[in-house]
Amino acid sequence: MPDENISILLIDDEVDFLDITKKRLVRRGFEVKTAMSCVEGVSALEDASIDVVVLDVMLPDIDGIQCLKQIRRQFPAQAVILLTGHASMETGLESLECGASDYCLKPVEFEELVDRIEIVYRDAKA
Amino acid sequence: MGYASVKNRLRALFSSSAAEADPEALRESFRRRYQNFRSLLTANNNALETMADMEQTLSQGQPFGMSLVRGYSTAVSVNVYKMIRNLEVISEGRYKGLDDSFRNISEKMEAILARQPHVPEGRLVAPLSEVDKGDADLVGDKMANLGEVLNAVGLRVPNGFVITAAATLEFMKANGLQDEINRLLKQMDIDDLENLYSTSAHIQQLISNAPVPGELEAAIHEQYRRLATADRPEPLVSMRSSAMEEDRSNASFAGQYRTQLNVNEDFILQTYKDIVASKYQSQAIIYRNQRGFRHQDVVMCVGCMVMVDAVVSGVMFSRAPRNPHSLWVEINAAPGTAAQVVSGSVGTDFYRVGRDSPHEAAAETVSDGSPVLQADQLAALAAIAVRLEQHFGVPQDIEWSIDREGDVNILQSRPLAQPAEPEPDAVEVPEACGPDVILSGGLTASTGVASGEVFAVHSSVDLLEFPAGAVLVVENSLPAWASLLNRACAVISEEGHVATHLAIVAREFGLPAIFGIKGALSELVNGETVTVDAAARCIYRGRNEVALARAEPPRNLMADSPVYHLLEEILSLVTPLNLTDPGSPYFKSSYCWTLHDVTRFCHEKAVSEMFAFGERARFDERSAKQLGGEIPFQWWVIDLDDGLREGFDVRSKYVFVEDIVSEPMQAIWEGMTAKPWLGPPPVSVKGFGSILFRSTMNPSLEPAVGKSLGTRNYFLISKNFCNLSMRLGYHFTLVEAYLGSHVTENYVSFQFRGGAADRSRRFVRVFLLRDILERYGFRVEVKQDALTARIEKKGKDELLQGLKVLGYLLIHTRQIDMVMGQEEMVSHYRQMITADLDQMLGRGETGS
Repeated sequence: MPDENISILLIDDEVDFLDITKKRLVRRGFEVKTAMSCVEGVSALEDASIDVVVLDVMLPDIDGIQCLKQIRRQFPAQAVILLTGHASMETGLESLECGASDYCLKPVEFEELVDRIEIVYRDAKA
Repeated sequence: MGYASVKNRLRALFSSSAAEADPEALRESFRRRYQNFRSLLTANNNALETMADMEQTLSQGQPFGMSLVRGYSTAVSVNVYKMIRNLEVISEGRYKGLDDSFRNISEKMEAILARQPHVPEGRLVAPLSEVDKGDADLVGDKMANLGEVLNAVGLRVPNGFVITAAATLEFMKANGLQDEINRLLKQMDIDDLENLYSTSAHIQQLISNAPVPGELEAAIHEQYRRLATADRPEPLVSMRSSAMEEDRSNASFAGQYRTQLNVNEDFILQTYKDIVASKYQSQAIIYRNQRGFRHQDVVMCVGCMVMVDAVVSGVMFSRAPRNPHSLWVEINAAPGTAAQVVSGSVGTDFYRVGRDSPHEAAAETVSDGSPVLQADQLAALAAIAVRLEQHFGVPQDIEWSIDREGDVNILQSRPLAQPAEPEPDAVEVPEACGPDVILSGGLTASTGVASGEVFAVHSSVDLLEFPAGAVLVVENSLPAWASLLNRACAVISEEGHVATHLAIVAREFGLPAIFGIKGALSELVNGETVTVDAAARCIYRGRNEVALARAEPPRNLMADSPVYHLLEEILSLVTPLNLTDPGSPYFKSSYCWTLHDVTRFCHEKAVSEMFAFGERARFDERSAKQLGGEIPFQWWVIDLDDGLREGFDVRSKYVFVEDIVSEPMQAIWEGMTAKPWLGPPPVSVKGFGSILFRSTMNPSLEPAVGKSLGTRNYFLISKNFCNLSMRLGYHFTLVEAYLGSHVTENYVSFQFRGGAADRSRRFVRVFLLRDILERYGFRVEVKQDALTARIEKKGKDELLQGLKVLGYLLIHTRQIDMVMGQEEMVSHYRQMITADLDQMLGRGETGS
């Protein structure tokens, strides 16, 4: 765990996942914001700078790849981890091509998610 | 190693760019490379781990579905893609051809994953009189076989027609059902019974409520009206599933789908939809998952046949189901329809009849008073069974009905699900059952021994509570209970017999099952641990170890299934390693045929780029320095980042062990120097005349051998990382480790190949190494005389220990292949090595 507080934005439409993950990340010393759609997520990024975005591939408004593109257009250096419950080679590879820092399959163990967030943060800051 | 070849080094020296002349720019450039190098190692680690998981999944035989295959394919390709991007930065775009190779492989993988079932084109409905075996793709296996029985064998089959696969696909398409169903299935957790049942119900409702397209509706009614005769103008019909892939001998799909009897014209369409929907009954979803079928490959066709006015019906096997060499036809029969017999809802008579004319009955068990079948009927049935077996070429499982006119009607004939080897006859009950027996008797529906807690299921409400690994106890052997067979360890039913669908599925799954054992529900207490010995037809109190010793290992239900083959096909693009020798002219991006090749190539080139940086950029900080001091052999060290102590003079040509702060290197070094090397083992000179070996007899000569035959030994290090490549004599060894604060990034890997001895002795050494490495927590893979060993995603202590073990082995197992022909020497070395290692790791004298 690095010294500084890493700020995270979770964008996912699954309420249970958001709540539980947020609670556990906060307990581990992260600053956590949540959004339930891409629009909400982008506006949260406009309000405050975020170290790592964790983005679900299936969102109610637009799909995760489109949302990723929108985020990277507005915030070109933003670190984003894509998260998905439906593994697809196509979206996996496309998300990396569009600048995602990592692509992670659900269910992901919490410790692994923490690790991946910290690694993405470390590499983005380096 | 290829990267140290003179040619590469020279090329590296002349390729330094002007932009890297400024030390600050050099540092920045190196820092960026190093960061990408680290990411590449992590991705490499993850890719290799996924590959190992994929191979394990294939070999283990545990059921898996398409979602797992898609998950693996995605994980491995994403990581390989990351490696390519990392290498691009490290090498400044030197290996452009990789993208083509990768795209080529990943597109093939995606095509395999997206492969759709062969969509049959053809009629929406087909009269049975025009159907035979060749039409299985259009009418499903069951109706194709029945058409064959009618048209090719010439036996009596009720008049009827089939609503084809083309019709069902049309119906699904017209209502846009498939995408929605796929979405629901992907979201479903098959291990969560409540989730499974609710998803199953939801999907079935979607299908049952969707309208049938007008053209299909008209075609069905037209076919129905053709069934009318003068004395039966509005005949009742039976409607049966006839799915693609159903009724193959290695997967029965017995009782997975719905059958509806006595349907009149008004209900034909609804019944058709309900049967199509029954593809998604919970037991069918479980069955396909257990047997490795993709849901999308199963297309439901529906057979529609005039009801037989049955006097007596039943099921017969052309040979005993557990013995392919049996001389008997086995017949189960009951008054009324055949559906009652296979669903296990009525008591039946059992007959064993000779296969040869005059087909005499050898045994009979009558359930209720007088037998339902007479000798002439038994002989006629047996003759039919043998005739069908001869026609289809394999033992058959046949449903039949005898009508009021006394004619035998065939309702189904499918290959009999059988074990490869005949099973022994049942053990006699009195001797076999000891004092701890709770219940005995009944029939062996499926042989085997298993132990678990009793759980009685009375209704579908109880289904949800069924604990994994329990003994399923039921009153009737209903097909619906099959949805628990992936969780149960054994099945006990008070009623039922060996021909029921539940028995067929239990045999397929290799679950012990005793049917027809009275008093099971009252005698067996929920939660009590029992042992079910199906061959002996005994249920014991507690775990009966004597009986359990006869239990067979679980069978691989997945092998040979469509999903298994699909993963195999994917694996052929993932795991084979063709790029093994970096010195070969074929070690090129264009020769990467698999993802493993790509990872190997990226890793090799990345290490090589990091290695060459110091020399290429004429950069003291990153150039190779010789390890100085009183140490065995010669070693060079390249610092990638922070592997040397602060204040170390980077211009120095030498570095000393105390300058090293790389934790993994220190651990390797500790292992290397824990015990002095005693030199090569004493060997008689006879048997080899190798100059090489004689020169290695003296340890002090070793560096000269190293120089003349291979290259130097290099440590590439940072504080958390170490890559050690050695080529000593004929051995090639690579140790690599990363131990940071993130467990996901951590690993130790070890590759070992070669030796000067003959193949068999080299193999013996590789196996010795494997045993030792496995003892210390490595996952080891041996291919011929090459060994790879890995520990991944573990804490620092475990990895440091692994590195010490490797350091020790690097020094102490050299040349011992020369003596690996002598068994006593092998066991001597095994004991010496494990004793040394245990002592070094403070494990005490535990032995192996």
